[in-house]
Amino acid sequence: MIALIRTEFTKAASRTRSLVILLLLIGLPTLIVVAINARSGRPDRDGGEGLFRLASQSGLLVPAAVLSATSGFLLIVIAGTLAGDSVASDANWGNLRYLLMRPVSRARLLIAKAFVAGMLIWAATILVTLAALIAGLILFGAHPVTIPSLGGLLGTFNISGGALALRVLIATAYVAFGFSALLAIGTLFSTLTDTAASAIGATVGVYIVSEILNSITQLGQVRYAFPTHYLDAWETMFTQNTYSKEMIVGIVVQVAYLVVVGAVAIAVFDRKDIRS
Amino acid sequence: MSDVIVEVDGVSKRFGEVNAVEDFSFHVERGQVYGLLGPNGAGKSTTLRMIMGLERPNSGVTRLFGTAVTAGCPELTRVGAIVEQAAFVPHLSGMRNLKLWWMAGGGRMADADLDNALAIADLGEAIDRKVKTYSQGMKQRLGFARLLLGRPELLVLDEPTNGLDPGEIREIRELIGRLTHQGATVLLSSHHLSEVEQVCSHALVMNHGRLITSGTVSDLVGTTKSIYVEVDDRAAAHELLVQLPSVINVQMQGDGLVMVLRDGRRSDVGAALVSAGIRLETLMPTQRLEDAFLDLLAAGDGGAVPSLQAAQVSS
Ligand SMILES: Nc1ncnc2c1ncn2[C@@H]1O[C@H](COP(=O)(O)OP(=O)(O)O)[C@@H](O)[C@H]1O
Ligand SMILES: [Mg+2]
Repeated sequence: MIALIRTEFTKAASRTRSLVILLLLIGLPTLIVVAINARSGRPDRDGGEGLFRLASQSGLLVPAAVLSATSGFLLIVIAGTLAGDSVASDANWGNLRYLLMRPVSRARLLIAKAFVAGMLIWAATILVTLAALIAGLILFGAHPVTIPSLGGLLGTFNISGGALALRVLIATAYVAFGFSALLAIGTLFSTLTDTAASAIGATVGVYIVSEILNSITQLGQVRYAFPTHYLDAWETMFTQNTYSKEMIVGIVVQVAYLVVVGAVAIAVFDRKDIRS
Repeated sequence: MSDVIVEVDGVSKRFGEVNAVEDFSFHVERGQVYGLLGPNGAGKSTTLRMIMGLERPNSGVTRLFGTAVTAGCPELTRVGAIVEQAAFVPHLSGMRNLKLWWMAGGGRMADADLDNALAIADLGEAIDRKVKTYSQGMKQRLGFARLLLGRPELLVLDEPTNGLDPGEIREIRELIGRLTHQGATVLLSSHHLSEVEQVCSHALVMNHGRLITSGTVSDLVGTTKSIYVEVDDRAAAHELLVQLPSVINVQMQGDGLVMVLRDGRRSDVGAALVSAGIRLETLMPTQRLEDAFLDLLAAGDGGAVPSLQAAQVSS
C-alpha cells in the first residue's frame, strides 16, 4: 500500500499541471491580498463583502477572507481536477491495464489513488491559507480584530491574535475536509471514463449544480444532504464569534459521502472490464 | 503429463450485441511459442485480456499455471504481457516508468532484472528521456523491458509488431526469437500470417471469436495441393477453372483465385489459362495455414487483413 501511494504520488506530483496549480494557489491569494490592501486605503463606500472589508485589520484575518473567496470555485475546480484525474488519466494513457495486470488488488490501487488525490487537495488548501497568511502578515501585521456582529446590529466583538490563529487553522482543516465528498465523487467518475477531462468536468459540474440548487431556499431540507450545503459553516467563527454546530453536521455529511460513494467506486472498479 | 501454462476453457465474452469471443478453447504448454492468428476484430485482444484478468468472461474460465484467473491474482507475477500497444506515463522517463511500475507491484528494485531488461530495450540515453518523446517502436521495446523485469515464465504478446515500421518489426521479431531461444513460453497474437509462421511453433486461427483451426505450425503449413493464381480477367479464369476436371473448389480470394488441385501439376493449370488467352501474373502453391486464413477473407472480412503478398514474402 505504501509503495502504491508513493508511486501514485510521484506520478501525480510530477505533472506540469501540478506546477500550474501550485503557482495558481500562491498567486491568486497574493493577488487578493493586494486587492484588499488597495481598497483599504479608499474611503469605505458600500462596505463590500463582510470578511473582505474586515481583512485589512489584521494579517491573521486575511486567510479567512481568501479561503471564503477561493473555496467556492477555485479550490473546487482544483480538487475536482485532482480527484477526477486519478484513474482516468492512467486509462487515457493506456497505462491502466499495465498497472492492473499484476498481482495488485484493484481496491487498494483505487484507495491509494484517492489517498494521493486527497493529500494533494489538503496541500492545496493549506497552500492557499499559507500564501494568504504570509501576504497578509507582511501588509497588515498580526493584530487582534474588532468585528461588528450582524453588520453592527448587535454591537461589536473582539478576537485576539491567538484565537484568530487557531480559527484559521480550524477553518483550513474544515475547508480541506469539506472536499471529501468531492474526492469520493471524483474518484467514482474517474473509474467510469477513459477521458480525464470528462471525469473532471462531471465532478466540478456536480459541485456547481449542488451550489446552485443549494441557493434555492424553496428546495427546503433536501439541501441539507447536498455536499456543498455546509461548506461555509466555518465562517461564523469570524463573523459571529461562534463555532457553528453546522460544522459538525458538515463533517458527518462529508464522511457519509466518503464512505458510501467510496464503496460504490470500489465496487464499480473491481468489476470493471479494463480495456485501456 | 505435459505442463499446461495457459488454458482457455469454453470462454465466451459479449459486448452488447457483439460476441467478441464465443465458446473458445485452447491451451499452451510449457516451452511452446503459440500463435493466435486472426484478422482485426477476431477477438484476440479480448482473449488475452481475459487471460490477464483484465476482463471477465461471461462464461467459461481462463487459467494460468493451473489456477483460475481473477483480477490481480498472484499467478500474474509469473507472466509478462503487452496487450495492444505498450503504454506508459508520458511525462516520466523510460527509466522512471520501469521503476515505478515495478515498485507499484510491491517489488524491490534489487529483485528486478533491470540490467537484462535495459539491454533488451536497447534505448541508450533515451531511457532517461520522457516517454512522450519516444517513437512507437521505442515504446514497444520499453514495453518488452517492462515485461521482462519480473523474469516471467510466460510472455503474452498482443500484436507486438503492430504499427511499427519494417526496421522496427525486424528488431522486435529478432527479440522475440532470442527470448524463445532462452526457453520462454510465449502466447502471441497477430494478424500477420508471416509473423506467426516465422516465430511460432504452434498456432490457431480464429475469426469472429471462434476457433477455425489449430495445430503445430509445421503441420498447418505442410504443403497441400492448393494453389493461388492472379490473372488479368478473373471472371473468365473462374469460368474456365471450374470446368477443369483436375481442379476443385475454385474460389475468388484476395486479388486472385484459390483452388485445390486434385491431380496433375500446377503447370497444367497455367497452361490451360494461357491457352485460353488469359494473362497469368502469378501462380504459386498455397499452404494450409494460408488457406485457413484466406478462408477468413472469403468469409467477408474485407480490407482489415494483410494482403497475400505480405504473407508470401516470408514463406
Ligand atoms: N468494449 C467493447 N465494446 C463493444 N465491442 C467491443 C468491445 N471490445 C471489443 N469489442 C468488439 O469485440 C470484437 C473483438 O475485439 P478484439 O478482441 O479487440 O479483436 P482483435 O484484437 O482480434 O482485433 C470486435 O468486434 C470489437 O469490435
Ligand atoms: Mg487486438
